[in-house]
Amino acid sequence: MALVLYHGAPNGPSLTALAALFETGHDAELRPIDLTMAERHSDKLPHNTETEMSIEGEGPVLVADGEPMADSVFLACYLNDTTQTSPIAPTDAFARWEMMTWCRQIIERVAPAAAYLGVKAHLGGKLSSFSDAAFEKLMAPIKSEDLKARWNDIREGVFDDEKISDSKAKIKAAVEMVEAKLGDGRDWLLGEFSIADLETYAWLAGMRDIELAAFEGATGINGWLGRMKARPSVARALSLATTPAPQEVWAPGPEINRWG
Amino acid sequence: MSDVTLYHWEPNANSGKPMLALMEKGVEFESHYLDLLNFDQHQPDYLAINPQGTIPAMTHRNPKLGDRVLTESTAIMEYVNAAFPGPQLMPDDPKDQWRVRWWMKFIDQWLAPSFSMIGWSVFIGPAVRKKDPRELEAAIDRIPLPERRVAWRKAIYGAFGEEEMKESQRRVAVGIRMLEDALSQREWLACNEYSLADINGFNSTYALPLSQPDLANDEKTPHILEWLRKVYERPAAKKTWAMGKTDMVKRVKLLERS
Ligand SMILES: N[C@@H](CCC(=O)N[C@@H](CS)C(=O)NCC(=O)O)C(=O)O
Repeated sequence: MALVLYHGAPNGPSLTALAALFETGHDAELRPIDLTMAERHSDKLPHNTETEMSIEGEGPVLVADGEPMADSVFLACYLNDTTQTSPIAPTDAFARWEMMTWCRQIIERVAPAAAYLGVKAHLGGKLSSFSDAAFEKLMAPIKSEDLKARWNDIREGVFDDEKISDSKAKIKAAVEMVEAKLGDGRDWLLGEFSIADLETYAWLAGMRDIELAAFEGATGINGWLGRMKARPSVARALSLATTPAPQEVWAPGPEINRWG
Repeated sequence: MSDVTLYHWEPNANSGKPMLALMEKGVEFESHYLDLLNFDQHQPDYLAINPQGTIPAMTHRNPKLGDRVLTESTAIMEYVNAAFPGPQLMPDDPKDQWRVRWWMKFIDQWLAPSFSMIGWSVFIGPAVRKKDPRELEAAIDRIPLPERRVAWRKAIYGAFGEEEMKESQRRVAVGIRMLEDALSQREWLACNEYSLADINGFNSTYALPLSQPDLANDEKTPHILEWLRKVYERPAAKKTWAMGKTDMVKRVKLLERS
C-alpha cells in the first residue's frame, strides 16, 4: 500500500492525521502543504469529488494507492483498520460506537467553533493584506461554493457576533464534556487511548490560548493535554512544525451548522 | 421480548436509517413509535432515554451491563452492522469503508440538512401550525437543545429567510449532481456493494422524483432513479416503509416498478 499524506501545520485535522499515521506505524511519504494559503486546491496534489467537497474544510489529504481521501477521523479509521492490531480504535462494537459518536460531537460542534475562533485570531490579518487579484487567484480552484464563502468572510473580516458567542459556548461545553469523562481519574477519554483523544486534542489544543476562561479550574483537561502532547506520536507530529507555535495555525474549517 | 428497542418516527431521514439497517440484518426489534409532530420526543419518558430529545435512539440489552442506550443514527447503523450476525453492510475493503463513511458524513451534515430545511418549511411547519398557539409555545419551551428551539420556531411561524432557502435549494441541486455522478461510476453509492451509505442516502432521497421533479427524473438523473428503485425493491426496504403512517413516507410507492 503506497501512502502519501499531504498535510498542513500540525494543528486541527492535520494533527489528527499525522499522529494517527505515527500511532499506526504505516510507512507514508509526508508532503507539507500550506492550508492557510489554500494550497490543498492547487495542482500540487490530486483531487476528486471527496477532497473537493469535503466538509471538513481545509484538512489533510491522504493518497492511498492513487486515491485521494479526506476527513481526518475517517483517515484515522482507515489507518487503524489497515493494521493487524487496531491500535487506536476499539474492536468491540459498543466501544467503537462510543468512539464514533464522540468524534461526531467533535466534528459537528467543536471543530467548526475552534476553526471559527482560530481563523478570527490568526488568519484574518494575513489574508487582508492580499490584493484582490492575488486573493482571487488563490480562490479560483476552490470547487465548494460554501467553503469559498468562508474564505471570503475571513478576508473581509466578517465575523458574526452570534457565531462567535455560539463558538465560545461550544468550546466551553467541550471542555466540560472532557472534564466529565476524566472525572474518574482515567488517562484517556474513553478508557483506552483512541482516535477520540487525537481528534479532541487536535481541535482543542489551540483553544487554550484563545479561550482561557473555558479552561480555568479544569484540572482534568490540563493534565490530559499534557499527556497528549507528550505522547510520542503527537510529539513527532508537532516536531514537523515550521513555526514556533503550530497551535496558532488555522485555515477555514467546517461550517457552523446552518440547520438543526 | 426482543433485546433491541428502537425509538423512531417515520421511516424517513434519521429514523429510517437504523430501521432499515436492522431489517437488513434480520434483527428483531421492539418498535417504539414517537410522533414527532406531537412532540413525543420532548416528553420526560423519552428524555430519560435521550436527554437531547432527538430521534432515533436504540437500546440494546446486555446480560451483564443492562440496557445500553445508543444515539446518532449513522453511528447506530455501524453498531448494528458490527454487533449482529447477518449480511455485511460494510464493504471489506478499507478504502471502500472510508468512502462509505465519507458519503454518510456528507449526507448527514451537508446535504440532508438542506433537504430537511425545505421539508420542515413545506411539511412539518404546516402540519403542526394548526395547533393551539399557547400549546405550541409550551411545546417549544420543553425542547432541550437551544438550536432545536430555533428550528421549531422557524418551522411553526414560517420564518425561514429567503437566502437560507435559496442556499438549501442550491445545495440540493449540487448534491443531486454529485449523487448522479457517483452512481454512474459504480453500482452503489460508495462502492460496488450495497452498504450503509445506500441505506443512509436512500432515507434522504427516496421522494426526490416528487419533491425535486425538475432536478431528479429519468432523463436527467437515470442513475439516481435506478438506484432508488433498486433499494426500494429490497424486501427489507419494503418492510421498513410499510411501517410508515404518514402520507409523507407513502410517497415511496412511486419507486415501485410498473
Ligand atoms: N444527528 C442525529 C440527529 C437526530 C435528529 O435530529 N432527528 C430529528 C428527526 S430526523 C429530530 O429528532 N427532530 C425533532 C426535534 O428536534 O424535535 C442523528 O443522526 O440521529
